[in-house]
Amino acid sequence: MTPEDRTPPVPANAAGSGGPTTPEESTIVSAPAPPRADCIADSAGGLTFDLDAPGSGPDPSEPGHWTAALVLRRRGDDEAEEVRLPLAPDGEGRLRAVLPSTVALPEGRWDVYAAFADTEPRRLVPGLADLRSLVDRRPGPSTSPLAVRIPYATKHGNLSLRSWLRAPHAEAGDLHPDASGLTAHGRLHRVADPAAWLADAVVEARLRRAPGLVVTAPVTREKRADDAPAEEDGQDFSFTLDYARLAAEWRGGLDVWDLWLCPADGSEPARLARLLDDVVDKQQVFAYPGLPVDAEYAPAQAGPYYTTDNDLSVRIEERPPVAG
Amino acid sequence: MSAANGWGRMHISFLIHNAYGIGGTIRTTFNLASTLAEQHDVEVVSVFRHREEPVFSPGGKVRLRHLVDLRKGTPGYEGDDPEYERPAAVFPATEGRYKQYSALTDRRIAEHLRTLDSDVVVGTRPGLNVHIAQQARRGPVRVGQEHLTLSTHSQPLKLTLRTHYPRLDAVTTVTEADAATYRKLMRLPGVRVEAVPNSIPAPAVAPADGTGKWVVAAGRLAPAKRYDVLIRAFEKVVAERPDWKLRIYGAGAERAKLRALIDKRGLYNHVFLMGPANPLDPEWVKGSIGAVTSSLESFGMTIVEAMRCGLPVVSTDCPHGPGEIIDDGVDGLLVPVGKTDKIAAGLLKLINDDELRQRMGRAALASSARFDPAEVAGRYERLFGDLVARGSLRGSLHRTRGALLSSAFRTSDASRSALRRVRAA
Repeated sequence: MTPEDRTPPVPANAAGSGGPTTPEESTIVSAPAPPRADCIADSAGGLTFDLDAPGSGPDPSEPGHWTAALVLRRRGDDEAEEVRLPLAPDGEGRLRAVLPSTVALPEGRWDVYAAFADTEPRRLVPGLADLRSLVDRRPGPSTSPLAVRIPYATKHGNLSLRSWLRAPHAEAGDLHPDASGLTAHGRLHRVADPAAWLADAVVEARLRRAPGLVVTAPVTREKRADDAPAEEDGQDFSFTLDYARLAAEWRGGLDVWDLWLCPADGSEPARLARLLDDVVDKQQVFAYPGLPVDAEYAPAQAGPYYTTDNDLSVRIEERPPVAG
Repeated sequence: MSAANGWGRMHISFLIHNAYGIGGTIRTTFNLASTLAEQHDVEVVSVFRHREEPVFSPGGKVRLRHLVDLRKGTPGYEGDDPEYERPAAVFPATEGRYKQYSALTDRRIAEHLRTLDSDVVVGTRPGLNVHIAQQARRGPVRVGQEHLTLSTHSQPLKLTLRTHYPRLDAVTTVTEADAATYRKLMRLPGVRVEAVPNSIPAPAVAPADGTGKWVVAAGRLAPAKRYDVLIRAFEKVVAERPDWKLRIYGAGAERAKLRALIDKRGLYNHVFLMGPANPLDPEWVKGSIGAVTSSLESFGMTIVEAMRCGLPVVSTDCPHGPGEIIDDGVDGLLVPVGKTDKIAAGLLKLINDDELRQRMGRAALASSARFDPAEVAGRYERLFGDLVARGSLRGSLHRTRGALLSSAFRTSDASRSALRRVRAA
């Protein structure tokens, strides 16, 4: 609230004397709104930001506008990690910055600011986000790291980006949990020869509280879906993870098993994750039931879920009492 | 809306429950106000203000002010005013929002209406229309908007409206069906009853291209929306076309039930509860078909929103709005309420025929332009202009009517103060 729109405070002892006066004369006097950025995503992982220029609009005769920049700052301990993108007039009276998929953005949460001339960067608020090309995204064949950036509004209403950068990447698809275990379908990206990479590969479930405790499941190579492009041949796989083997290690509380796709040759494994769409936080949207499992220790339930980083894990925990 | 409208510049004042919240009435009032403000002097007066900035923007030319300040922790906060604790006597007890109104709102709204020197005053809910009917000073044209429907009001509220609405100059409904109900059930001599649909602006994003294999639904997760029916219908769609999926946007009390239904039917790879989204247009364009399975839609805002984004909508033919929005088989499909087989068949008809879906999507885009704020504001402008002209032509008649009414006011004022004394005792 700015000082201008404050009405004089009512003294405590004035209660009952009619209350504050002239509310009808109050007017809205607000602080200058934070700059708002529209964002358009392309299917290759690039983002375009469009925002109104401060003041009355960009004036080509005003060289100050040419020094404007979009500033991305990674959240975390390392204050210095920053990416600056030029913010230039788009010819239609607005300013535009482009973040191509080729600009590497390490994984994490990036807060988005605009800096005009030499002023302190101002945090942007999200405007319109056209992310339709991220829905059902199918990245083409390549061996360079897969870049995923999803813009979102923070809980305080500011603009941030969630970024992932992975090679290889194991995209989780349909999940079929049942009482005996989890059957999952996935697609491997960003390796030179997916079919060879998947030959004799396994899925490792790694217990988070006890590194080194690993349960493996064989991986089956799948035919690509009828509607998938031919170049995706050899990328699809599935596996079934037996809940009983996970439950055998359970001693109450919450056990989280992180799932990794591991090639037979011992080279770099891929964390199973769901990244190729427009949903920044999968956990609530791609939700799956926890089902009762037989654990030696006590009644338990098991189910797959997506972590805050949208990686796929399985949780074993206490079975809630049956209602009613 | 045309600049050369022949009525000159009007001063139009809207009265709304709370312009700072989220809801269909707020959104549609701002749409209308900001469009009218291009030609006229427009203000929106909000009875309550509970936050600093409105969630939706009223547009730069619209003046927004409030009557009662409920911003907690600010010096202007009036929620602890003793008058705020006393029940309202003017705002009708039969109205759904009665509990939020008070002696303080009675007084503030009365002061506002007594001093209002606009050409037109527009109420946006039944209780506020009653305030306007009773308390607006002589002069401004009095318009009461009905954003819901007469038939969904309780019997006691209908009686209240029957008593007060004859003092309005016009009642507007959002559907022809509801206007017909008003004309049939209420005695409103000399009151113009006119259906004017809600306005929905053109989306700021390019329309959907109709190629994505997604059905999209959006709205509060409330029982009347019957998302349980939609999910059961979609189960039948998945059985035939497992490559298609459903997104449901919105928040609400039904969420846990719907989640349990999805889990029980094993639809977690095909049906997704997306949570709330604002604005919705960027979400509609991710889909190729819109779905509405409500048992009741007083208007059908989401149908128009989806159509403006280029989506053909499969909607139940429920009262009151869908049948007036969708031209069945041309720009969308109407299916029977609650019938999962018929709803699934409607969806599959558009899923299985790419050409038909694309054609209906283009038709939806074209036909929904009639809900553009410029079109709708033009209809309001003509209505307001006619009423203002009628008012000045019949000025003498108006004064006679006013004199008659003023004695009635004195009576009701006296009875109200008597009531207040009883309460205070």
